[in-house]
Amino acid sequence: MQLKKKHKKKAIRGALTTASCTLLGLSNVAQAENAPWQFDAGVLYYSETDRVQAIEPVVTGKKDFGDDRWLNLKLVVDLLTGASPNGATPTNTPQTFTRPSGKGSYTIDANETPLDDTFRDTRVAVSGSWDQPLGDQLKGSFGANFSTEHDFLSLGASASLAYDMNKRNTTLSAGVSFESDTIKPEGGVPTPFASMVPAGSAQPRDASDDTRTLVDLLFGVTQVINRNMVMQVNYGISTSSGYHTDPYKILSVVDGSTGATTDYVYEHRPDSRNKQSLYWQMKYHLTEDIIDLSYRYLWDDWGVTSHTLDATYRWDLGGAKYLEPHVRYYQQSAADFYRVFLIDGAPLPAEASADYRLAEFTGITLGLKYGTQIKGHDTSVRLEYLSQTGDSSPSEAIGVLQDQDLYPDLKALMLQFRYTF
Amino acid sequence: MKISQGMRALLAVAFFCSSASHAVETAPSFSFSDGSATVALKDLKDQVVYLDFWASWCGPCRKSMPWMNKMQEKYKDQGLVIIGVNVDSDRKAAEDFLKAVPANFKVVYDPEGKIAAQYKLMGMPNSFLIARDGTMQKRHVGFKEGLEDEYETEIRQLLKQ
Amino acid sequence: MRSFMTAALLSCVALLTGCANLGVEPWERDLLAKPAMALNPDPIQSAYDDHIYFSKEASSGGRSFAGGGCGCN
Repeated sequence: MQLKKKHKKKAIRGALTTASCTLLGLSNVAQAENAPWQFDAGVLYYSETDRVQAIEPVVTGKKDFGDDRWLNLKLVVDLLTGASPNGATPTNTPQTFTRPSGKGSYTIDANETPLDDTFRDTRVAVSGSWDQPLGDQLKGSFGANFSTEHDFLSLGASASLAYDMNKRNTTLSAGVSFESDTIKPEGGVPTPFASMVPAGSAQPRDASDDTRTLVDLLFGVTQVINRNMVMQVNYGISTSSGYHTDPYKILSVVDGSTGATTDYVYEHRPDSRNKQSLYWQMKYHLTEDIIDLSYRYLWDDWGVTSHTLDATYRWDLGGAKYLEPHVRYYQQSAADFYRVFLIDGAPLPAEASADYRLAEFTGITLGLKYGTQIKGHDTSVRLEYLSQTGDSSPSEAIGVLQDQDLYPDLKALMLQFRYTF
Repeated sequence: MKISQGMRALLAVAFFCSSASHAVETAPSFSFSDGSATVALKDLKDQVVYLDFWASWCGPCRKSMPWMNKMQEKYKDQGLVIIGVNVDSDRKAAEDFLKAVPANFKVVYDPEGKIAAQYKLMGMPNSFLIARDGTMQKRHVGFKEGLEDEYETEIRQLLKQ
Repeated sequence: MRSFMTAALLSCVALLTGCANLGVEPWERDLLAKPAMALNPDPIQSAYDDHIYFSKEASSGGRSFAGGGCGCN
């Protein structure tokens, strides 16, 4: 039984190699079989206080087909549990909400942020890419990816080119990627701004699913500055069209004078989004240690602008051991259609969402990573702490809402293990 | 100003990166120790010299070593001399590399890159085929396993002279 | 702000491609060749971070990782 299993494993590896060689039109299958697959694995534990928890194991494999040609494969499994804010505001009375499926409901205590705990999912994603030289100074990379969970399906393809100049001190790169998403919400796609209806009754739904497509372009210049320093500048532009709404999120409709909740309506976002970003990164090698610094500025037609500043210091401890403290600072402005709540009787905006991810907030991450080698294999452990804070008492709060926390802080802990074998 | 610099760089790269021979010049000479004696490159007359610049941090160099060992073994009786010039600034890194990937040919250490500068390296690894008359006949930037047979044919051609 | 950033980027690009004297000789790339000096030294970690921040923020993307390194082949 044991022998059979080993034979099967070798046969699978051989078959994988032969299949990929044939598909890619390569001869020299025998030579390719000599280079071993290099595997890299990781597992991430993510935990927010009182909210979402996730475990995400990842394994990647890469194989050298000779002459700088590589096949890269990746498998991701994402297991999510826990609760997520549904967009309604907390208020001074208990609140009852209908589950997205329309077949049940849940109640939230007074003065508590409404969290929907039906948020339980498993996501599986597979991706692959092929890298190869296209000329003396030109390299190409072509990839495809696929991701699925019970209410979401994503298919994508990408291609990128890198051109070296100045004795390979300068590299110009350009990349394009396409993605097609299918959203199949549990219970169906809700009618925009429809009122939430009690469980058991006919739910306001438009369709069973909807779609969205994305196109991303990325242009970059990488420059070696001197023996110790390399720098990169990128410009990215991205456009997406289709269904961008979160089908599980609602907004509270409140009385204009007392602030008491009178209704809940499903949110609605624009059917297109155009983003642009400028990204700069620098790596500097000191005597033994390395500094990594990056900054990204992003802006889009939803009114969101953001700044991301990231700094890592790799403290070399000798003998392949290192300690790496990390700081990340993030600041974003609110989307134009972000509303903390809607006012009963006021004209409805074209789009509105109370999703905290579209609000104005600041996020700070502090982390520490320790790396070493076990029997020649690189391994590391990283612990990070993320804290997002926003305006808990915005000026637009009315009546009873003035006593509520209208932007509860997000605090999350991340533990990551890595192993190369 | 910007355009002509860029064009010059592109032309230089295209020129040097091709494996075709061009302006035939005498290989710059340098001295190295051979046991207790000091030998100069120009003294290796009547031998075909395959001069290869390598470093411990260069991936393709690791792949070229077994092939160079094979060539040295196969053609040493016909007068092939392979010299591997190491450009590591850290001698220990080079020595650790040679423990893992031994070389059966002569290794010369050039930690300050003086010989590399003489030969105006355009990339890593960079090899030069020097004929029996001391002229540089072929240059190769990079090492491609798929071209091993071609490299060997070039050596055989020069050995016939 | 936006036009200033675009102008800054364009001048960076112009500076970088125009300065052919920036950079090092092919044999001086020992430090740059170190895996830790790659622009993306831990792709699995970057993917984890990208996924987390994509789920918690309104921003995503912007990074690519060609160039630098040993400059071999």
